Amino acid sequence: MVKFILRRIVMMIPQLFILSVLIFLLAKAMPGDALTGQLANNPKMDAQTLAEMREKLGLNDPLYVQYTRWIKNLLHGDLGMSYVHQQPVTDLLAGRMWNTILLSVCILVLTYAIAVPLGVISGRWQDSWADKLIVGYSYVSFATPLFIFALIMLFLFGFKLGWFPTGGSVDIQLEEGTWEYYISKFNHLLLPSLSGALISTVGIIQYLRSEIIDTKVKDFVRTARAKGVPEAKIYSRHILRNSFLPIAAFLGYEITGLIGGSVFLESIFSYPGIGQLFLQSIMQRDYSVVTALVMISGLATLVGTLLSDIILSAVDPRIRIE
Amino acid sequence: MKKRYWKFFSVLAGLSLVLSACTSSTSSNDKGKKTEQTAPKEDIGNFPMTVKNDGKIVDGVLTYGLVSDTPFEGTLNYAFYTGQPDAEILQFFDESLFRTNGDYEITNDGAATYELSADKKTMTIKIKDNVKWHDGEPVKAEDLEYAYLVIGNKDYTGVRYGDALMQDIVGMDEYHSGKASTISGIKVIDEKTLTITWKHANPSVLTGIWAYPLPKHYLKDIPIKQLAQSDKIRKNPIGFGPFKVKKIVPGESVEMVRNDDYYGGKPNLKGVIVKVVSPKVVLQSLKKGEIDLAEFPTDQYVGAKGTKNIQFVGKIDLAYNYIGFKLGHWDAKKQENVMDNPKFQNKKLRQAMAYAIDNKSVGDKLYHGLRFPATTLIPPSFPGYHDKEAKGYSYDPEKAKKLLDEAGYKDKDGDGLREDPNGKKFTIHFLSMSGSDVAEPLAKFYMQCWKDVGLDVQLVDGRLAEFNSFYDMVEKDDPKVDVFAAAWGTGTDVDPYGLYGRNVMFNYSRWVNEKNDELLEKGHSEQAFDKEYRKKVYNEWQALMNEEVPVIPTLYRSALYAVNNRVKNFTVDPSSKLTWKDVGVTAEKPEVE
Repeated sequence: MVKFILRRIVMMIPQLFILSVLIFLLAKAMPGDALTGQLANNPKMDAQTLAEMREKLGLNDPLYVQYTRWIKNLLHGDLGMSYVHQQPVTDLLAGRMWNTILLSVCILVLTYAIAVPLGVISGRWQDSWADKLIVGYSYVSFATPLFIFALIMLFLFGFKLGWFPTGGSVDIQLEEGTWEYYISKFNHLLLPSLSGALISTVGIIQYLRSEIIDTKVKDFVRTARAKGVPEAKIYSRHILRNSFLPIAAFLGYEITGLIGGSVFLESIFSYPGIGQLFLQSIMQRDYSVVTALVMISGLATLVGTLLSDIILSAVDPRIRIE
Repeated sequence: MKKRYWKFFSVLAGLSLVLSACTSSTSSNDKGKKTEQTAPKEDIGNFPMTVKNDGKIVDGVLTYGLVSDTPFEGTLNYAFYTGQPDAEILQFFDESLFRTNGDYEITNDGAATYELSADKKTMTIKIKDNVKWHDGEPVKAEDLEYAYLVIGNKDYTGVRYGDALMQDIVGMDEYHSGKASTISGIKVIDEKTLTITWKHANPSVLTGIWAYPLPKHYLKDIPIKQLAQSDKIRKNPIGFGPFKVKKIVPGESVEMVRNDDYYGGKPNLKGVIVKVVSPKVVLQSLKKGEIDLAEFPTDQYVGAKGTKNIQFVGKIDLAYNYIGFKLGHWDAKKQENVMDNPKFQNKKLRQAMAYAIDNKSVGDKLYHGLRFPATTLIPPSFPGYHDKEAKGYSYDPEKAKKLLDEAGYKDKDGDGLREDPNGKKFTIHFLSMSGSDVAEPLAKFYMQCWKDVGLDVQLVDGRLAEFNSFYDMVEKDDPKVDVFAAAWGTGTDVDPYGLYGRNVMFNYSRWVNEKNDELLEKGHSEQAFDKEYRKKVYNEWQALMNEEVPVIPTLYRSALYAVNNRVKNFTVDPSSKLTWKDVGVTAEKPEVE
């Protein structure tokens, strides 16, 4: 097991290296740079100063020079400066990452809280009206675009009913560290995460449902029934335990998504997170932020898949990693 | 939701109306006039510039909505910020030493007074005694000098050094290149007085002088390279404006409280909260009173009109849209525009293309009248310099056809499209930007208009260009581009040299002309301190540009603000003496619809 994990970690090094070259070249291949056209609203600029600024930012150096400089800094833990935000990328990300992780964890917890019971119900009482309702919901939610759904939720629960705050991550007038402050933070999280969670349940519901349906006709279940084991116990002991296996493995991948953020939720709820930052950085050619974010999510994906494998081997005794 | 769909449909409807307006041009343009009457149309001239409210001011907090899809960047300093949202936050807690009049020229009503020397090259600035930074330190002459030292420094990370007035200061070059440790043209006379000397006398100094001091005592220990990222600018910024920053939630909101020591007197508001609001929900937030005031997206105005708890104020924006012809290239070595592209050298061809487009329909149908036909390259938001008499190019396809005939662009093979004077196929490549909801219909409309007079216009690469690709191609004079549609924000300095001069890279059309050189030079000469003279010169320049049309001015824009009924004394009128100090609220809570 340890050997396996170590091998996987060693494997990550060339993978990340290739990713770094790719993302660097792709980022540079985008037309324009951080200074292109930004002056359409600032006519007080002249060509020499612009050239000087490009020189200062190192944009005139040959690509390989820029790449070595970047990778060297990266190895020292320095992600560079964001041109647009005029601050080190690490500082910038630190602020946004916390918000994003908070939101994603909330969405994840809510998703599982909603999807698992629904999946179990629809699997156990297959073809009942409840099952049909749940399957119907899961398909409708699957087909609903987030940016429309989030807007509807916001108009309904935020503006019409006034149950939730309509934007931001916290009420600025509250003293940091007080009880009200944390309540307010939680309150601001609820509506966006509910919007996110309600339409991302389809995967788990369907997985769980079909696993349960598969498992409940397996031989060992029939044996248990024949022995006279009560139905409730058959489900809790035998069927559910087996059906949760793929869901558990799924969790590793979900962790990868935690740091990605959501462009739509963030923009509709004015919630400063990673998704918006990524989009904005691409649009404005803020290279250092783009490359940093791709590298981080690349690393997260590799770690996430590793975690998935580890979880799977931990919960399923049939799988052993050597 | 209904509104979103409605907007979508209205765009479609608008598009079909617009297209019909242009295709019908074969039977002259009276059909176009008929469709005009059916669409709702606004006129920025009908909007008040100052809110109406006769109530008595109470002690309250105003919530200002920062309409933006993205979090604000948080570079809260005039010398460093780049994003508009940051500027909107800055206006509450920091300000220029000078107030300005309706022509955006500095006056002596603000935190400092100025006097120009007889040769107009030296300005003496005296800061008033009661002007204090938020930490109680007086604002000193050395603070303004420090701002220049920072901006001119080679380690400076912002964009303000590109300003021509900045570089024209005596000794600035030497300081910028590191040959001198101070700027010889800037002298601190005493604690409150300083003089700045420029190499040339230029009337733009009255609109463009840098008058934002930096608190030297507060910032001097931070290396200039790291100023923009420092906590003293991002987390605990100070200024000398009517409000003090109390708390910042990065990217999201800022809480400010009244500055009782404000030199202009005690502000009416107890505090201001600025928070980011998505353009998708700005109207709802206004209706619910969650924000009191916001710059309102003009494309949503028709759906918002008549909302009971808010009033709208508006003015013509300091900007214009235009269509430019690529006439040459930029010689970076010589720092000069070279007009060597033969395709559009014929003035009549350019004029014909200007007559062929129906900007009135575009403004009325796609922008509900909140953008309207531009007549010159100096927008009416410069009331002192915009030539009201100028006609510009109004829609006249017959005239366009006549001009094309005269210029020799005739349809020789009978396919309905004109060939060039040599009888060769004549295709024009048009570069247009993606991004807005109406980008596609707008580009199609212009192309249709040109087709109606027999010109074959195609999009560059067959599609709209994304912002960066667009400017990349325009700046580098990509040979694929013949004609491009873009826009300029003018800033408050009327001098068009920075956009149309011979030695200016932003002269994207690369048009050069001796008369133009002469007029632009006159426009910022010593003589031009005489406003009448300057106006005459710029009228002549506007006429020249309309005659030569290196770029076609297409649309002027409006800027709208939505304001809750409880707000008093808010104005967008540049000539008004009202400032944020005077803005107040007449009720504890915002009105709700």
